[in-house]
Order: sequence, then C-alpha cells, then structure tokens
Amino acid sequence: MSRLPGLGIAMGMALTLKKFFEPKATIRYPEVRLDVPPKFRGRLQLLYDEYGTLKCETCFQCAQACPIECIDMGGIDTKGRYHIHWGAPETYGERRDESALRRSGRPVPDQAYAHFDPIHPVKLEAILERFDFDPSRMLEILDATQAEYGHLPVAALKLISQRTGAWYAMIYGTASYYRHLRFEPPAAEPLAAATATARAGRETAFLAGLDASLAGSSRRRGRASAASRS
Amino acid sequence: MTAAPPHGQREAPSDDPRVQLDQDAGVFEPVPPYPPRTEREAEFYTLGDGEMFINMGPQHPSTHGVLRIVLKLEGEVVVDLDPVLGYLHRGVEKLCENADYHHSIAYLDPLEYISSLFCEWPGVLAFEKLLDVQVPRRAEYIRVLSTELNRILSHSLFMGWMALDLGGLTPILWSFIERDEIAEMLAALTGQRLLYNYLRIGGVNGDINHEFMSRLGDWMSRATNQIENNLGLLNQNEIFVRRMRGLGKLDKETAFRMAVTGPNLRATGVPLDFRRAHPYSVFPELEFDIPTRDEGDCLARYLVRMDEIKQSLRIIDQCIHKMPDGPVMAKLPRLLRPRPGRAYAAVEGPRGQYAAYVVSDGTDQPFRMRIHDPSFVHLQSVGVLMPGHLIADAMAVMASLDPIMGGVDK
Amino acid sequence: MTAVARSWGRLTLAGKILFTVIPILLLLTAGLVLVVVLFGKPIVDFLAANIWLVRFIVAASAVLLMSVPTAFLIIYMEMKVIALMNLRIGPDRVGPFGSLLSVVHGLKVLMKEDFSPTGSDRLVFTLAPVVVYMSAVMSLLVLPFAPGLFGADINIGLLYLFAVGGLTVVGLLMAGWSSFNKYSLLGGLRSAAQVVSYEIPLTLSVVGLLILTGTMSLNQISLNQAGWFTNWYVFQQPLGALIFFIAATAEGNRTPFDLTEADSEIVAGFATEYSGMRFGFFFFAEYVNVFIVSGLFVALFLGGWNAPIAWPEAWAIHLTFDPGSTGMGLLFALLLVPPILILALAAPFYVGRSSLPWWQALIIGFVLFNVLAIVVVGGWAFISLDWVAGLLWFLGKTYLFVFTFVWMRGTLPRVRIDQLMGFAWKWLLPASLLNLFVTALAVIVINPR
Repeated sequence: MSRLPGLGIAMGMALTLKKFFEPKATIRYPEVRLDVPPKFRGRLQLLYDEYGTLKCETCFQCAQACPIECIDMGGIDTKGRYHIHWGAPETYGERRDESALRRSGRPVPDQAYAHFDPIHPVKLEAILERFDFDPSRMLEILDATQAEYGHLPVAALKLISQRTGAWYAMIYGTASYYRHLRFEPPAAEPLAAATATARAGRETAFLAGLDASLAGSSRRRGRASAASRS
Repeated sequence: MTAAPPHGQREAPSDDPRVQLDQDAGVFEPVPPYPPRTEREAEFYTLGDGEMFINMGPQHPSTHGVLRIVLKLEGEVVVDLDPVLGYLHRGVEKLCENADYHHSIAYLDPLEYISSLFCEWPGVLAFEKLLDVQVPRRAEYIRVLSTELNRILSHSLFMGWMALDLGGLTPILWSFIERDEIAEMLAALTGQRLLYNYLRIGGVNGDINHEFMSRLGDWMSRATNQIENNLGLLNQNEIFVRRMRGLGKLDKETAFRMAVTGPNLRATGVPLDFRRAHPYSVFPELEFDIPTRDEGDCLARYLVRMDEIKQSLRIIDQCIHKMPDGPVMAKLPRLLRPRPGRAYAAVEGPRGQYAAYVVSDGTDQPFRMRIHDPSFVHLQSVGVLMPGHLIADAMAVMASLDPIMGGVDK
Repeated sequence: MTAVARSWGRLTLAGKILFTVIPILLLLTAGLVLVVVLFGKPIVDFLAANIWLVRFIVAASAVLLMSVPTAFLIIYMEMKVIALMNLRIGPDRVGPFGSLLSVVHGLKVLMKEDFSPTGSDRLVFTLAPVVVYMSAVMSLLVLPFAPGLFGADINIGLLYLFAVGGLTVVGLLMAGWSSFNKYSLLGGLRSAAQVVSYEIPLTLSVVGLLILTGTMSLNQISLNQAGWFTNWYVFQQPLGALIFFIAATAEGNRTPFDLTEADSEIVAGFATEYSGMRFGFFFFAEYVNVFIVSGLFVALFLGGWNAPIAWPEAWAIHLTFDPGSTGMGLLFALLLVPPILILALAAPFYVGRSSLPWWQALIIGFVLFNVLAIVVVGGWAFISLDWVAGLLWFLGKTYLFVFTFVWMRGTLPRVRIDQLMGFAWKWLLPASLLNLFVTALAVIVINPR
C-alpha cells in the first residue's frame, strides 16, 4: 500500500480499464470448440479400428468395472454368440438395488448364473493350489481346468475368479479369446450336429422370448438382430 | 395400526399437492429439533439479550460449498457460532476399504476437487510404502511437476475467491483464466480436467507428452507477468488491504494447538513445510524457499499463498530441466496384495498437510483407510477467529482459511 | 349465435385479443371525438388557462416512460462493461451485441410468479418496491435535461431531490422488515444506517456550491455554468465535487458501498425474499438511481447541458431553410421522398447482386433510408434546435458517469460497515464542513457586499 491514499485504487482502476480493451478469453462455445487433448479420457464413444470395425469385443470388463453400473451392453462376441449380459431394460430397477448391495460389501445372489450346474470343487482347488492362486498364470489354470473337466464350466470360472482375485470378466475374456478353450462339453461326431441344431433352436427360442419381453418400441431392434443372426 | 379417523374427516394423503399448498410452509429455525445433547449445545442455543441466530448455509454464496454455520449475532457482531458439517459426506474412507488398491485412488480424487492430485498423492505414497515399491525417478519428477501446477491452480483460485468474498467481481474471473490454462494443460497430461486420477501405485499414468510440454512452455513464458499483473489489482488496493490487515489474527501457540498446517501456519511465522521437514519424493534435490510472514492475519495468509505461487514456478522450472529419462511406472503385478501392516504418508498440499494412514490385512483391499484433510482441521479454528467480528469479516476469515467442503465432509 | 360462438372458438389467442381490443378502442375514440365536438371549446379554454397542469402531466408521463428504457440501458451497460473488464464477452446473443438482453430480462421478470413468503407482512411487502420505484421516478422529475426540457423547475429543486431520494431508504426498510427474513432485516438496517450517515456529507458538500450560485433551482445552476468549461463548478469546488461523488456512490448503494445487498455476506439484503416483478422494481429503481445520481453530479458540477466549448458567434451555423415555410410542398415532400429514396437506395443492390431477391433489396433500401433520414433530421435538429444539442451533451456526460460507477463496480471490493460509517463521520463530514467554510470565506473576501 502506498503512502498516497487512493493511489492503489486509482492504479486498480487503470488496470481494469486496460483490460477493458484487451482481447477476451471467452470461447463462444457452439461455434468454436476447443480441441480435446488426444489423451482425454472423458470420451463416451465406441472406437473403431483402422479397418472400420468396432473395437469393442463385448468383453464386459467395462460393465463390470463401472462403479455405478451404468454401462450396459448386448451384442455378438468374437465367436458369434449373442449375449445379453445383465438382462432386459425392464430389470434395471432391480439391478440398481443389487449394485447397491454389492457396493455395501454384502453378497448378492447373481441371477445370471443361477441356472448353471454346480461342480465338485476339490479337483479345481488342487489345480489352483498347483498354480499358487496366481492370476498371472491364468492360461495355464484354464488349460488344466479344461483338461480336468473336459470344458470350462461357468461355476469353475467363478471359483477361479474368487480364489485368484481376478475379475470374472477378465477370465471370461481370456477364455473366449483362445479357440481351444470351450464352455460346453465336446460332443461325439453324430451328436455334434444334433447339438448344433439344438443350440440354434435354443437361441431362437431365447431371441423369441427376448422379442416378447421387449415388446413395443424395441420390437424392431430384436427382429433386426434375429435377422442378422440367420 | 392407528385408529381410523371418523367418517367425513378422512386424513388426506400427505403427498397430495393441494394439501401441501394449504399447509403453512413453515419457517426454518436454526435450532435443532432435538433436546441439546451436550452442555455446549445447550449453552449455544439459548439466546441472550439482544442476540439472534442466523443460519448461514448450506446454500449461501460464500460458504465455499455446503458448509452450514449457525451464527449467534448481536447486531452484526458474531458472538458465537456452531458449524454444522456433513452435507457433503460420501464415506470416502469406507468406499476405499471396499475397493481394490488401484480403485481407491479414484475415490481419493474428489476429496478436494480443487487440488485433486494432492489428495491422491498421500494415498499412493502410503500404498507404495506398504508394498515397498521403488518409484522411477522420472515418475517422481512428473509427480512433482504436475502437483506444483495443481498448487498454482489452487492458489490462483483462492485469490479470486478471497476477492469475491470481499465483494470484488473481477479477480475471480481473471484467476479462472489462469486456472483454465492449467486445467487444459493437466488435461493434456492426465486426460481429465478436474479429477485427474493420474498418480498410480509405483508411478504415474502415462509419460509427459508433446501437447502438455508445448502448453506448459507457452504458459511459463508469460505466467510470471500474468500473475503479477493480476495481483496488482488487489495487493495495492486500500480497501482490500485495510479490510484484511489485522483481521482474524492467529498466533503461533493457537495455531499449533489447532493443528493448523500449510500456508495458514506459515503466515504465523513458523516455517514448517513438509517438503522440507519430512522430505518425500525428489524435493531434497530441488531449490525453493519457504515464504513466511509474522502477522498471522488474513492479509498474511493471502500474501503467503501468493508468494508460494512464485516458488512453485521455480520448482516447475527446475523439474523441467532436471527430469531424467526412463520409465514412469514400476513393474508391479496387476493384483496387489501387500503384506499385513500399516503405513502413513503425508504431503504438503496447497492447504496444508494431506495425509493417509492405511492398514493392510493381506487381502487386495485396504483393511482401514484414514484420510487426514487440512480443510477440516483449519475449519475448527474458525471458532476461535470469528467471534467478535462482523458478518462481513467472518466471511473474509473463512475465505482466508480456504477450506474445501469436499475434504471437510469426506 | 352458434355460428358466432364457433368462429370465436376457432380464433387464436392473438386474434381474440385483437378482436376484443379493437372494438374497445373504436368506442373510446368515438367517445373522445364526441366529447371534443360537444365540449371542445370549454376544455380547450380550461387547458389553456391551466397550461402548467398539461405540462406537468405530460412531463410526469414522459419521465415515467423514460425510466424503464434508462434502466434497461444501464443494466445492459453494467453487464457488458463488467464483462469486458473481466475479459469476458458478456451478452452477445439477443439483439445487436446482446443489447436486448436486459429487455428480455425485464420480460422474464414480468412473467415470473408473484410470490410472497410465509410470515411476511403482505401489505408492506407489496408496497415496498412501489415506494422505492416511486422515489426514483419522482427524483427524475426535476433533473434539467436540456434548456426547456425538464419536468418541473422548482426553486428548491435540490432540496426536493434530497428529500425524495431519502424516501428510498423508507422503501428499503419496509422491504427488509416485512420479508420475515433476518438477512433482509440486516440489509434494511444497513441501508438505513448508511443512507442516514451519507445524507449529511452529501448535503453539506453542496452547500458551498449553493453559496456560489445563490439558487437551489437545478435549471438555474445549469444556466450559471454556461460558456467555456472553466465556468463549471467542479473547478471552483473540487473538494465538494469529490465528497459529493463519494457520498452519492453510497447513496445509490453502489460498489464499494453496496452493503445493503452484499451478496457474499447477507445473501441479497432486502431483496432476498423478492421475486418476479417486485424484484424487478427494486432492480429498476437501483439503476434509475444511478442515472439520477450521475445526472445530478453533471447538473451541479459539470455544467449540465452546456457544451464544454462556447462557440464564438461567428462560427455558428444558421440554416436559412425553415421546413415550415414550404407549406403544402412539405406535405408532398413527406409523401414522395421516402418511397423514391427507398427505391433509389435499393436499386444498386438489386441491380448489382443478381442473387438478391427484390424484397430483400427493398428491406436494405428501407433500412438505409431510415439511417439516412435519422442522420439528416438529427443533424438539422442538432444545429437548429437548442434542446437537442443540450440533451445530447447532458446524456453524454451522464452516461460517462454511469460508466464510472460501473467501472468502480468492476474494480473495487466492498468496504466493511464500520469502515463505511467511520469514513462518513470522520473524514467526509469534516471535509465537507471545511469546504463550506473555505467557500464562505472566499466569497466574503473576494466579493464583499
């Protein structure tokens, strides 16, 4: 503060008057848009690779990692199988409660896997013991499991996830990436054709059920996906 | 089951809008509806002669978020006050205890949304101590560089708020220009403008890139001038200086008793800076001064912060020149399971000491996570500083302590 | 009947309004014509006998009508100037350079719900904005805008202004008390304390000037300052002018003395509980007050409507052409010149740019013609009509001061209430007394009776 009273105020007034004529900092938003830095992480969009196809592999890792479970998806995975992981939009309300439970640390009955057959876990425990519960040796664990059970039962995958601490979605992603790993028991030659038709029938039935459940505005989407399947 | 009301006097449903219109909307009383729980509460909520309560907040233009203070006034003089906290409580500590070590960093971010990197840092440091990780030197330099930028951001916003709480309209917008440039810079570096989530256990998320460096160089070339220019509006202004000088005096003993840290402590003449007192990261290799003032009033707190901006610019300059080559992340497994134990880490933030205390039980989630936030600690000295001042000065004292309610309520 | 009802039902709202308003207007016009035809002579005689009444009614209506656009203009100025000082752009979407934004704000405020809080004193709550606005408009009445252009030339004009300006604080107190809110109450009390303290230096600072002029009529004071700008009282009363300026800032509740609505301390002071048009009245009154305070300063110290330079008689331009002398020719010119000129101005655009449709060219021609006509007629009026030039000088100086008030708002923080009081009683009051004594002494020494 200077000795002369009022000098500071006068200097401040001069400064604001100088700024009055200076170029402005405002960006006129809808006309002018700032460049987003390449590393910006706030983009909500699916990325495409250099061939113009979607990079998303429907691995559900994002959906599983999303803390408030706002990410949802339905689609066709790398093996051409149709998934709707979390269920129809009508059940969003239930799922909200579910996720609240999950975040509070309490166990949640998982509707999605309720119908899968249980397995006898002793053999799997032995395998996991052999690989030291190490999630970085996941492929070896999965190989050994398939050798033991003949395929990868969902219950086994969930147990592996529980014991090693790896996300289920990551294990599922690993398993679905390798061609030699399978989620269903191998069929004999004559049986294979029957299984294939049965599976197709099951899928058609599932899609029909889905169609019915999504009646109304979303009916067309279900039909379109059914058409693209066949 | 309540008895059914007699015929013709059926109780109207309480959610009927017509009923709500007919009812008296009611007048909000600051006195709590329950009987006083402590002696202090009973004493506070009995009015003396000529006194009145005024309920300041949670929605008030200058309570820096959702702080609510019940002021007991005599005329315009604050006689006593009762801060009511918890309007922004999110249970961050509990959220961290239910998340993976990596995930809890993201929960630490929004604690103090002005200086997010400083909230991440103590957590990350404590996790690294638990895991016994050696952080690459380049990563350490990047951490110092980005956090010092964040410190400048926080202090320049403080200048604007301080002036706004005293009624000046212009400085807040000038400091927002400063802030926006730094935010864009940090967005180029970290990928986000506000909640960076940039520090990782064992390093940082991504090396510095060309865009960040070009923006930083552009800004550094004119930052000193620009900040000096902005300060000229307030530092010389008689009205501002007369209002701030001698207001809210905090002496050394009270400051120590109140566990005040950071610029608020340094304004009382104690050169305590955790970057020097308990050196962490690469601060022993960097040259900078610790600005102090002896007055301990609002003006001293303001000036100490403005001096710190200049020191931060010095540190950034040195970081750019001394930064070695190398990796920015230590080799770490995806799934972290530290040995059972406990760790404590503290850093010097723009508001004071940010600290985290973590207990591990050997699983992949922290068993207990305790976050120490300077805003909360500084807010309690409001009870010493405000009484005896006018309402306008109470706001100035609040602003000079610079609390962020996100950190206070956790 | 049903057909009428059906067609009435088919009308849109605008149509219904038109079809109701037009007959009413027709009826009223017919009535007026009838009254004039029947009682024309006595009415004219009465009005001629009481010409002051006509003058007063016209002036009051004009001032009332003027206050709202003035407030709009100052609000726009405040938004834009502070924005530019803050390195923002400010309003730029509604109208040219966003200049219609304050008008839109006014309309928005009109459309909002008229709301009064629980526990408020309804009558006082409703009357408070009226009182505030009334005092502002009443003050406008005595401001001398130009030679011959003022509402009323009262011989105690200055006293009247201070008295009516003091009514504002009654309105603010009413608002603060009736809102049933402690913030409002604090704001009302602050405004009372502030205005009472600053009235005294404000009035005392002018007393020195009154000794010099010997009159309280603002019109006469303006007349006294005619000639070169060295005749302005600001050069004879610099201290008085400074004190008047500071006290007037406090009187108009402007930064750095805007304690009554200090938003960072007491949320909005007396206006906390007000919404809709009631708040609008407060808002308008505040900006009209800014205009009045600036205009008063200009009239008292800066020569009022006088130009800073006294033109030597030799330089003066006298137009020999008087439009009234042309008689019927003027009528024909008024009829023929606009269409011909519009066509002439539109022609180059239509011929030169083949992509332009004819109606767009006509619109351009029309706009150009209007600009031209305003320039020509305005220039003629400026040269040959005394009051137009005076009004321009007065408004120019006044808005310069309005700009200064806005500029101060963009720069300065707010003072504390005790500093405000201390400044008034410890510095301004002694200084104004000193000014008074020095002036009196100088008048006696220089000009003894």
